[in-house]
Amino acid sequence: MSQTQQQIQEQVDGLVYKLKRRQLAGSYKVAIETAQLLMRLITMARWKNTDQLIELIRDAGRQLIAAQPREFASGNIVRRVLSLIRDESLEMDREKPDIDKNTAMMSSMFSLLSTTDTKNQQQHSPSDAKQRTQDLRSLVIQGIRDLMDEISAVHENIELMSIDLIHDNEVLLTPTPNSQTVLNFLLKARQKRKFTVLVTECFPNHTEDAHKFVKKLADAKIDTVLIPDSTVFAVMSRVGKVIIGARSVFVNGGCVSTSGVAAVTECAKEHRTPVFTVAGLYKLSPTYPFDNDSLIEVGNSGKVIDYSDQDLVGRCEVTNPLMDYIDPENIDIYITNVGGFSPNFIYRIVLDNYKSDDVNL
Amino acid sequence: MSEGTKPETSQLSNKELKELKKKEKAAKRAAKKESIGIKPDSSQRRGGDKPKTASNIKKQINQSKTQSESLKIPPLFGHLETREQRISSTPPQLANIVHPSILTLCLKYSTFKIVGSTHRCQAMLEAFKDVIESYKTPEGTSLSRHLTGHLSHQIEYLKSARPLSTSMGNTIRWLKQEISLISIDETDEQAKLILAEKIDVYIKEKIEYANIAITDSTIQHIVDGSTVLTFGHSQVLLHIFKHVATELNRKFKLVIVDSRPLFEGKKLATELSGYPNISCQYVFINSLSSILQEPVDVVLLGAHAMLSNGRLYSRVGTALIAMSAHKRDIPVLVCCQSIKFSDKVQLDSVTMNELSEGQDLLTMGSKPTKRNGFALDQFLKEKRTEKEEESKGKKNSNNNNNSSNSVPLTKPEDPLANYREIDNVTILNIMYDLTPPEYIQKVITEVGSLPPSSVPVILREYKGNSSNS
Repeated sequence: MSQTQQQIQEQVDGLVYKLKRRQLAGSYKVAIETAQLLMRLITMARWKNTDQLIELIRDAGRQLIAAQPREFASGNIVRRVLSLIRDESLEMDREKPDIDKNTAMMSSMFSLLSTTDTKNQQQHSPSDAKQRTQDLRSLVIQGIRDLMDEISAVHENIELMSIDLIHDNEVLLTPTPNSQTVLNFLLKARQKRKFTVLVTECFPNHTEDAHKFVKKLADAKIDTVLIPDSTVFAVMSRVGKVIIGARSVFVNGGCVSTSGVAAVTECAKEHRTPVFTVAGLYKLSPTYPFDNDSLIEVGNSGKVIDYSDQDLVGRCEVTNPLMDYIDPENIDIYITNVGGFSPNFIYRIVLDNYKSDDVNL
Repeated sequence: MSEGTKPETSQLSNKELKELKKKEKAAKRAAKKESIGIKPDSSQRRGGDKPKTASNIKKQINQSKTQSESLKIPPLFGHLETREQRISSTPPQLANIVHPSILTLCLKYSTFKIVGSTHRCQAMLEAFKDVIESYKTPEGTSLSRHLTGHLSHQIEYLKSARPLSTSMGNTIRWLKQEISLISIDETDEQAKLILAEKIDVYIKEKIEYANIAITDSTIQHIVDGSTVLTFGHSQVLLHIFKHVATELNRKFKLVIVDSRPLFEGKKLATELSGYPNISCQYVFINSLSSILQEPVDVVLLGAHAMLSNGRLYSRVGTALIAMSAHKRDIPVLVCCQSIKFSDKVQLDSVTMNELSEGQDLLTMGSKPTKRNGFALDQFLKEKRTEKEEESKGKKNSNNNNNSSNSVPLTKPEDPLANYREIDNVTILNIMYDLTPPEYIQKVITEVGSLPPSSVPVILREYKGNSSNS
């Protein structure tokens, strides 16, 4: 027993260290790795009932979140899997009327009160329980597989909507050149439409990404203009739509994205330019963005003032936030792999995919 | 551009020897002028091939315009003049009559050694003093008639470095008027003395005392313990901050927001970080919204020009700062001398602006790019193409693919290093943007504080004053 626990801990630690060392970059990879880890955990671990399994996953989830609290994808996947487990076990309870006919019929409120009762019943019949865990295990693993398929197919589904949103000869602006989703979206759109993209250089954290992004767009024969971050206001009056990639999206419809984006969306709002955010479903987080510090990661200040700059190093306070929180009122729509939604509606999508029990792990 | 030189040489070999001789002469002349400054070199390169007649110059201008189509400017901004266009559109023979101090000034302008409207204006006046001092009225004319024309040539040349700022335009207008007011009876020496003194007074009055007056009316907004946010660098703001920190001994926090590619804020930070009363915070414009989460009491901005419709024309990024501050109900104050007031009206940042080099955005570091003079750039480019051709020759003989290594200066790993050759890629690097008057609470000038809507009023008063005196 303790040996399997140790093995599990090793597995979790592997990902925890990767997260802590920032060896995993981008929520897409984090999401996939988390899903894989959970799959391994579920196959490895020995558990007798659903509650034990849930506790196991929650424990792993807590460690992953603590490893990198501002990377929401890992927590999201953990919650998705938890919700999956809950759904499947509920489904099984319903399908097996021989355990207790009444439980299946009961309303959720009632079952809430009588959980201890059903648990006792499960423990009463060990062979039945074993069969049940086997079934649940295979079902959940299948569910995680589906989830991983969904994550890897995220871009395809989002791309499908690109034609509906971009018209010919439109001028687009994107302040998130580090987003793979935005890149794929634009490349897909190019197959049907001709347009111009203005790309901010995201100095100092993503300038190299911006250059690569510009090059990739140009290779796809998209007219691309690289602009400094400061030029956004000057050109905004000529921009048709602003497209941003989110790092994570919250229940209230706000999102976290690359630093500088908040100012761009504000500016777009001021010019009445529509802003749309592309994000996979796995970026949807069931948490509320209460305080800013818990969202915003701070990066290397040596990128702002070079360490060799002796006139300023040590004499100036220097900050280099990597993220920005974007208010829901500055975003017009979210494009996800399950469709486009207004920010006010995001909470419904969250409810569809997560259980409220799992919001606080 | 590099391709254009190749066929020319082959054609020339067919042409008469006369052309070659002419070229040699031109080269000699160029060598002479090189000792004066750097510009003659480039003008000779363009003008050396053909005799410099008015029609030829026109042709050159047209040629340069067609060339510029291959330059990388986004189509929306195609109407703005590029550095190459600016240089080729100044008549090359102008370089012969340009004063050395104007030449050095030009180089400093174009390499951004001197930057900022006030600073540029002041440097220009100093250079004009030199011009006037070494000026001699030719026979048969009077100083008041001829000097203005002479100055115009200098100014024409100055424009090739960077377009004139509003303050420079206003100053030039004033100076020309002063020159025309000098009576014919004055001797050259007397007239020069009068003008030199007038220029000194002008610098004192319109810049130095104006700074003091603006400081006096701004200090009320920086109280002990307040947080001030500013953008880039402004001479008058530097004066204000120094004054508040030393004379008034008030402690305050200064957030300096900076942007690519000039990093002017660094200059301000370097100047002010030594003061114990000022705690500086230095950030880039991308962290603007994070910075504004902390309480900021007031935003102080410098100006390049105040336009007659109340809009502020200033370093690109200013509008973004003003907007963000306005949205959070932080007062935005603009400090600006009245020489920066312009009677122009403008509605957006696209129609009128100054185009800078896209190349400047290719460096990755947080240090300002070092800009070379135009002539040096041309020289390096020629050297590079020569090298490339050499390596091409080698490649043909060796069949090696190492030619990509022969491009120096820019890192090969940057995918945009040779962005001029990549189709569909342009880099937009404009210098200014326009801030709508709604975002500005107050414009502080030496003649008082006023809302942006009152700019034309000041303009009238000021014009009235200058014509009276």
